[in-house]
Amino acid sequence: MARRVAVIGVGNSKFGRRDDVSVQELAWESIKEALHDSGLSQSDIGMVVVGSTAYRGIELYPAPIVAEYSGLTGKVPLRVEAMCATGLAAALSAYTAVASGLVDIAMAVGVDKMTEVDTSTSLAIGGRGGNYQWEYHFYGTTFPTYYALYATRHMAVYGTTEEQMALVSVKAHKYGAMNPKAHLQKPVTVEEVLKSRIISWPIKLLDSCPISDGSATAIFASEEKVKELKIDSPVWITGIGYANDYAYVARRGEWVGFRATQLAARQAYEMAKVTPNDIEVATVHDAFTIAEIMGYEDLGFTEKGKGGKFVEEGQSEKGGKVGVNLFGGLKAKGHPLGATGLSMIYEITKQLRDEADKLQQPLKKYIGLVHNVGGTGHFAYVMILRR
Amino acid sequence: MQIDALPLSIKYKIKYPDEFIEAVKRGEIVATKCKNCGSVYFPPQKDCYNCGKNEMEWIRISNEGEIMTYSIVSQKPQGFENYEDYIIGIVRTKDGINLMAWIKGQPKVGGKVRLTTDNMRIIGEVVG
Repeated sequence: MARRVAVIGVGNSKFGRRDDVSVQELAWESIKEALHDSGLSQSDIGMVVVGSTAYRGIELYPAPIVAEYSGLTGKVPLRVEAMCATGLAAALSAYTAVASGLVDIAMAVGVDKMTEVDTSTSLAIGGRGGNYQWEYHFYGTTFPTYYALYATRHMAVYGTTEEQMALVSVKAHKYGAMNPKAHLQKPVTVEEVLKSRIISWPIKLLDSCPISDGSATAIFASEEKVKELKIDSPVWITGIGYANDYAYVARRGEWVGFRATQLAARQAYEMAKVTPNDIEVATVHDAFTIAEIMGYEDLGFTEKGKGGKFVEEGQSEKGGKVGVNLFGGLKAKGHPLGATGLSMIYEITKQLRDEADKLQQPLKKYIGLVHNVGGTGHFAYVMILRR
Repeated sequence: MQIDALPLSIKYKIKYPDEFIEAVKRGEIVATKCKNCGSVYFPPQKDCYNCGKNEMEWIRISNEGEIMTYSIVSQKPQGFENYEDYIIGIVRTKDGINLMAWIKGQPKVGGKVRLTTDNMRIIGEVVG
């Protein structure tokens, strides 16, 4: 029987273009905050997992560098990588170590410094996030293209509009402007989104997340440790789901949602013994605006095909049925790949502790959900957290 | 202060099946089919994960297809900077295989294409 595990400390660096720091300094920003938040020091941590995709930075093997800089030498057994879902993959590894009894306290650090290469190089690395041999090599797929293929199909099958996608961006920017740690802090209008430069039609610049640097950290502890340390606001992990799908996107056979998300969500809901109707606050992986619309549907917040309406009706706003991406989402807060999933845990932890200030979702049940997609729907992780 | 890091140049060599490359040069598209259990693979692979055998035969894929979805690429990645905007589509062939192609002509979801190649990649020419 697995042990119960709680999040007892979280940290989040400022996201953005961070020419002012190296990757290890960036990681330390969130590690320091999480240690402080939990009241622990490095010697209390039994294991550290570093989540980083690394390919866009000079440190291709960042785990030992991060560990050295942060005084965690001797505690870092591995770096994990699951493309854009690297953060939750790291969290899953740390959670598993605690749940299994291997260690009592584990830390997951997510960090990526993505602006060390230029945009064209970054697009080429991202484009290889599909199936290089059979996609990128011949067809020059970019990351936005993969999501655009889903957007076009969703529009054709369900009548989803570019305006509805733009609303996701407007919502993200509105909240990003209220989050001092967000990469983009300027509100935008539907018209500005629609008129922004086309990247890979129907995806435009303002439908896309920025290329960001950042780090986030979460500390996980067993129930016994939570009691021993007298943690007053543990946030319990009550459900975890994970799944994957074909790498070659054409093989998936449908392009209106992510099967990986659907499978991961079902698993997480079953484990947590809750339904989508119980979720009051969530982070939904919105690397591109269509992703959030599909996320509402795949996570069961609304019926398949009704995601566009869901945002249009304000149901994912603060105070709505499910407050979604209230810190600005990947779209405005930023998407440093390795950090994103852990930054999502940071957000939901803050929400469930009623510490989200102006971005606080009114909660009754105190149940939140974290959803992190890797690649172009290759992986999905869903985590359910409860106060 | 930011200073230039040492440049990193990586050159790769990758392996494609001879049969696939030769077929593309003839303007044909081929997949593999397991002689034991009949599983069909596109992208082609030489090992059958369904039954575990590795006795495959090459089969030709129908050149009639339907556009399932597409995107027009304006912001090009490294290696494609000198191309005009190109259209990437997913096509479902008459025999039920889903594949990626460049689309030539005015695309629409549900539109019909004739599959051919440009000696390197699969092309779906819009026919209606």
